[in-house]
Amino acid sequence: MSIWVDVARAASAVNILLLLALAYVWGRNYLQFRSKHPLGLLIFASFLIAQNALALYMYLVDPTLSGWFSTAVPVIVWRLMMLLHVFETAGLVFLAWITFD
Amino acid sequence: MEAVLWYVLTGTRGGANRARILRTLDERPRNANQLAEELDLDYKTVRHHLDVLMDNDVVQRSGDDYGAVYLPSPRAQSNWETIEEILEGME
Repeated sequence: MSIWVDVARAASAVNILLLLALAYVWGRNYLQFRSKHPLGLLIFASFLIAQNALALYMYLVDPTLSGWFSTAVPVIVWRLMMLLHVFETAGLVFLAWITFD
Repeated sequence: MEAVLWYVLTGTRGGANRARILRTLDERPRNANQLAEELDLDYKTVRHHLDVLMDNDVVQRSGDDYGAVYLPSPRAQSNWETIEEILEGME
C-alpha cells in the first residue's frame, strides 16, 4: 500500500499519546478543582482516545477489517483518512502546547 | 474572559499554582520574589506563571521592571465571581 496508510496509522498513534498526556493533566486538575470545566476537557479527551484507538484497531488488529483496510481501500480514501488524522494531530499539538505552557 | 479564566486556571498543567498566585495577589499586590517566598515556589516558575497570566490579561504589573509588583487586572476584577467560583472548588 501507499505511504498514506502509514501516515494515517502513525498520526492516530501520536494522537493517542498526546491525548493521554492531556487527559493526565485535565484529570489531575479535575481532582484538584472538582469543577465541570476540567471534567468536560477530560471527557472530550476520553472520547477522542476511544476514536483513535478504534481507528488503529480497524487498521491494524481486527482480522477482517485490517485485511480489508490494507488491500481493498483505494488510495483516494486513504489520503482523506490520513488528512483527518493529521489535522487532528496538528490541533492536539497546539492544544498540548497551550496546556503544558 | 470567563473562558480564558477557566482554561488558564483549570485546564493547564500550571493552573493550580496560577490560581494560588492570583489569590495571593488579590490579598495585596506583590513582586515575583515575595510571591515565590509566600507560595514556596521557584522564582523562575513564578515569573513564568506571571508571564502567562499577563499574556492573558489576568494580572498586570505596576512599577518599573526591577521589583515591579503585580495585581489582578481590571478585566480579572470585573470577572471576580468566576475566579471566586474556581478558587472555591480548590481544596
